[in-house]
Amino acid sequence: MFGSWIRNIARNAKLTQTTTKYNVVIQQLCQLRALRSAPRAVQVTEPAAKVAESSDTPDALPPLKQNNKQARELALDFGPREAQLPSFNLAAYVNDSQTLQQLLQLGVDLSNIERRKGLGQFVLKLDFEQDVKPYLMFLSDQGVSPDDFGKMITKNPLLFKEDLQDLQTRVEYLKSKRFSDEARQRIFTQNPYWLMFSTRRVDRRLGYFQKEFQLTGHDLRLMATREPRLITYKMEHIRKAVFTLREEMGFSAKELQTLIVRKPRLMMTPADVLVERFSYVHNEMALSHAQIIQCPELLASREFRLRERHEFLKLLGRAQYDPQKDLYISPSEIVQGNNFYFVRNVAKSDLETFELFLKNR
Amino acid sequence: MALTKVYDAATVFKHLNGIINVYKPAGVKVQHVRNAILSNISKGLNELEQREPRKLPKSRLLLGTGTAADPVLHNINSNTDLSDTIFAAGSRYMPRDTRCATVATLGDHTSGVLLFGLNKGLHQSSQIQRNRPVRVYHVTARMGTATETHLPGSRVTVRANHKYVTAERISGLAASMQASHQRKMYELCGVDLQTQAAYELACKGLLRPADNSQPVIYGIKLIHFERPHFTLELHAINENEQFLASLVHDMAIELRTVAHCSQLRCIRHAHFDVKDSLLRHGWHLAGIMKNLQEQRKILEAHPQILDQERVDLHAATEAKI
Repeated sequence: MFGSWIRNIARNAKLTQTTTKYNVVIQQLCQLRALRSAPRAVQVTEPAAKVAESSDTPDALPPLKQNNKQARELALDFGPREAQLPSFNLAAYVNDSQTLQQLLQLGVDLSNIERRKGLGQFVLKLDFEQDVKPYLMFLSDQGVSPDDFGKMITKNPLLFKEDLQDLQTRVEYLKSKRFSDEARQRIFTQNPYWLMFSTRRVDRRLGYFQKEFQLTGHDLRLMATREPRLITYKMEHIRKAVFTLREEMGFSAKELQTLIVRKPRLMMTPADVLVERFSYVHNEMALSHAQIIQCPELLASREFRLRERHEFLKLLGRAQYDPQKDLYISPSEIVQGNNFYFVRNVAKSDLETFELFLKNR
Repeated sequence: MALTKVYDAATVFKHLNGIINVYKPAGVKVQHVRNAILSNISKGLNELEQREPRKLPKSRLLLGTGTAADPVLHNINSNTDLSDTIFAAGSRYMPRDTRCATVATLGDHTSGVLLFGLNKGLHQSSQIQRNRPVRVYHVTARMGTATETHLPGSRVTVRANHKYVTAERISGLAASMQASHQRKMYELCGVDLQTQAAYELACKGLLRPADNSQPVIYGIKLIHFERPHFTLELHAINENEQFLASLVHDMAIELRTVAHCSQLRCIRHAHFDVKDSLLRHGWHLAGIMKNLQEQRKILEAHPQILDQERVDLHAATEAKI
């Protein structure tokens, strides 16, 4: 009984001791911080002039103010970097955070990042030397030009969350699939999300495209390099588009193969838009499937553009898309260039006529 | 006075006031046109020269932790306030910075003149709206089929023969409809058409409706006939797409056939003509600025668009008494 009493007392004493010890440590830390920030406050840009000025005017107010400020910072117990009030955007922290400054120098659009949920918080916690630099080194090793870093990080800052080993594995995977250096460089630059996907997932996706369209390895690589965003796109969406292309528009397997290798972007356009364009090209302009395959840009062009240009050509009597006959106009020429180019070089008319035509419909 | 080229976004934005005349394509919503114009304006402004970021106050704390591991302290180069740079604060001009209002809307299937007031031109746009200027339409009807909404693109409900419809019959009907609409205006004012009061009312100018609830037609004229299509020129106030479409439908029934509108085109709104309107490929900052100037000239040439003697209110109050 007595023993336990003593033990309890001893424990209490120990506890109080530790708490007092911690208190002392905390106080010391505060003092250290104050000491550290005090010289910083004095060491301003033009030290000589500043010191002279302060010595000239023996005013007690400014130092007092500074002291007050320090006291407040200490009371909030913030370190120097995070000694900030909450803010709605990253811009408020830019002047105090070296990481953000470095990111700005790379050309990262912080205003774009903070618009997306959680990313602002994430970027704020980064440390440039530790969290960012290795990744930039890694990217430049992959041949990505430093000019593109800004755009890439703006699009996908979460790349810094990935493990470098994983990234290396993903690059090795692409190498093993015989993607050339230029192809890999293009993929990483065009689609910064690619490296976020595990090798298994990328493999599954590439496998899907290869199996679905019976692509050769070369064609698959060509397609993935031409539109790297396709591989990380929503699969549901792609499946819908493929269904539309195959079933609703009736392209055969062979035709589909050439179509998607030449214009992978078609699989990323909404299905109803695609059908609208196709029905105009096929029914109104009376182009066969074979002709559409020859010129997939037709399906990539907006419908109103096709409509305007085709109707104008029809008005001039030049809408003749049969290569066997005279005055042939290639369908690919219709969608090329701006209106001025079209009117002068394809329709062989002038812009006033075209504008008059547009204002009559 | 010498002209100088302007490269400065702030100067351009300062002069971005007034009315613009845009050609709205058929099948596009007014809201889409508005969004396109506003985003193109902000894009154009952001491509011009921007103001420099602010300067920081001279005395700032130096950056850096100052610990043993990281002893280097930093200061920001040339005292630029980095939080005010474009990458940190976002682009200088956003679509919502430009205020914009339509004078009168057009329906989805209608194409043609659409007036927007920009920034300080909002005042002018509301004045034009209050004066209720006449809008002129070219309405093309297709005889033989009636649709559910009387507009193209909806379900066909009735088919009918139209062999016996001639241009003379259509113009005759148009003339009689015009006469009855004109008579109706005077009757609504409570004035007999054969009186001195009616004459004096007519002398004062166009008799306008007091509010924007009642559509009024001032003229219907057949301008083109090519079976199965015919085109009417309509002068109207307070009209909307649905009203014009049902008018065509009713006319066709009078002609013992059916029809639907295949095209609706607003060719004039007050003095703003379709000739000066801005086509879709001209919806960029330079084109919009040029259009603003042209419309300003029209406003200067015709000050009555903005400031007008109000005949209508008189008439309406008399009618109520």
